[in-house]
Amino acid sequence: MTPSSLSTPRRRPATPLGLYATLLPPLAWMTLIYFIPIALLAIYSVWRLESFEIVQEFTLQNFQAIASSTAYRKVLLRTVAIALGVTAVDAAIALPLAYFITRYGGRYRQLLTLLVILPLWSSYLVRVFAWKIILGYNGVINSALVSLGVLAEPSQAFLYNSFSVGLTFVHVWLPFMILPVITAFERLPHNLLEASADLNAPPWTTFRRIMLPLVTPGVLAGSINVFALTMGDFITPSLVGGPSDIMVGNVIASQFGVSYNWPLGAAFALVVMAIVFSGLAIVLRRGALESL
Amino acid sequence: MWQRVTIAFLVGCLSVLAMGFPAAPAQAAGCTLTAIVWEGYTDPSFTQTFEEQTGCTVKATYAGSSDEMFAKFRAGGGRNYDVISASGDITERLYKAGLVRPIDTAKLNNYSAVFSPFQNGPWNTFDGQPYGVTFAWGPNVLVYNAQAVSPAPTSWDVLFDSDYAGQITLPDNPMTIADVALWLGKSDPYDLTSADLAAVKAKLLELRPNIRKFWATAGELANLFQSGEVAIAHAWPLTYQQLAEAEFPVGSASPAGKLTGWTDSWMIAQRSPNVEAAYQWIDYILSGAGQKGVMETTGYSGATELGVEAIGPERAKELFMDDLSLHAQINMWQSVKNYDEWVQLWNEIRS
Repeated sequence: MTPSSLSTPRRRPATPLGLYATLLPPLAWMTLIYFIPIALLAIYSVWRLESFEIVQEFTLQNFQAIASSTAYRKVLLRTVAIALGVTAVDAAIALPLAYFITRYGGRYRQLLTLLVILPLWSSYLVRVFAWKIILGYNGVINSALVSLGVLAEPSQAFLYNSFSVGLTFVHVWLPFMILPVITAFERLPHNLLEASADLNAPPWTTFRRIMLPLVTPGVLAGSINVFALTMGDFITPSLVGGPSDIMVGNVIASQFGVSYNWPLGAAFALVVMAIVFSGLAIVLRRGALESL
Repeated sequence: MWQRVTIAFLVGCLSVLAMGFPAAPAQAAGCTLTAIVWEGYTDPSFTQTFEEQTGCTVKATYAGSSDEMFAKFRAGGGRNYDVISASGDITERLYKAGLVRPIDTAKLNNYSAVFSPFQNGPWNTFDGQPYGVTFAWGPNVLVYNAQAVSPAPTSWDVLFDSDYAGQITLPDNPMTIADVALWLGKSDPYDLTSADLAAVKAKLLELRPNIRKFWATAGELANLFQSGEVAIAHAWPLTYQQLAEAEFPVGSASPAGKLTGWTDSWMIAQRSPNVEAAYQWIDYILSGAGQKGVMETTGYSGATELGVEAIGPERAKELFMDDLSLHAQINMWQSVKNYDEWVQLWNEIRS
């Protein structure tokens, strides 16, 4: 603020103009890389592919194809199930971990938080590949189990199945869950916990009635991160998934990159966005955004 | 205050400009030949010589299937690539979509060396005009880990052997349906009725529990062998060549009468900005050095007399380049009429 605007309150209406001008660059940016592509996606989704040509006529047949094909429905259901499962497991890991870091971290709290974020400094691909090395036929786990005599020969049970896909997702998205949960625990007023203990509430009751309701927005914020990231991913299932573990991201990628069926791929992408946005709507109503 | 508004506005404009700029000059570069190819067709071992001779750099993208090649070539209106190493199943599709231009064979010094049955081959000649230049061909073969698989397999039946359950890998490519049709004894694996496709689906579902992974690129496949994840693959001879070079105990079998394969042609994009460089590249690949490079890298068979001279008569005989007897036996990939049904079937197998 310039001194003049402080001294003369009458000039205040000038502020909104400056505000709008500052908003212009992000707005232009968002329009260019976000709103226009989504509009294009919506337009493509109502066109159709006919003998390798995209026909620019309005039709809903792509959405009909998604709804009527059992194979597509199965992929969608599997993807939602995996995404929900990964979210639940990440929440179950993040709650005790974040509690421990904020409550008992003491002077190491910053360091422990840093360690949580540390994996994000390496490439996502490297982290997925690491699991191939850990879980593979001649991988770390198999070598260890064979040399300990637990297994007679290496097992194929660890890699290229839904287990390896789920495990990899749980690991790579975990920081996105832990961070908002840590924030939520940091905001938790200590005196409430002490009051609860003073009133003879056992620890479990304190957790259930005091802590959980207060950190739920943080958990929900983390959940929408993990859920959305899992819903849209196609790298992990194609790298560590088996012959029948493809997810909806793989279907979309192959419609665009392999089948040249952009209309069907666009329709699929909109369906995924609808699922993610309805998840977002549910958690927003419970105050998740305040903890992001 | 107005000064701030102006600055904010200028910063806004600059950030928009910064986004627009990097995309534009990429196409203006001197002589860069962009190509979408099967892995191995632009190996540095022989591409470097071309780059030194002409001063043009070759920028290649690998594709894992014909469909991927077509989709990527087509995206952006066919302006992204100058040349494409199209197999027989998409040559007609490319021609019909108007994405490739007729070849002026007079511009190719080495065209007369192309084996005469390959000049004006039906897979790349449309409307009486050549739209592609044949330069390599080969079969899809059985590749196996010679240490893990014994006795040495001679038939595709080994894929169904319970001893190797969970150690099989197939290409992630709908054209694999043609192979399954051959195993089922169909005479024309590219002309399948809905009933035939249902039989193929049943056979593939029977095989699926044995499959560890569908491979998408040759690099991935070599990695699957080397890390011990798979023992038997339906693959290209390229993988045999790559693994043998890495001194991996690899074996290969080509079950007679049950082979699919491909005949690959260079085609030039209709909208290519580097047509001259494209002709130079094709001419180089037809020459002795180019043919020898392709054959040594991939293990595929070449298509010109100059290639035979470069590798010597013995090796040429091994690659069936003396009488092309193998070429006639292979069911070469070709356009499939009900291809969307094939893709649908493949998606069902994958999900």
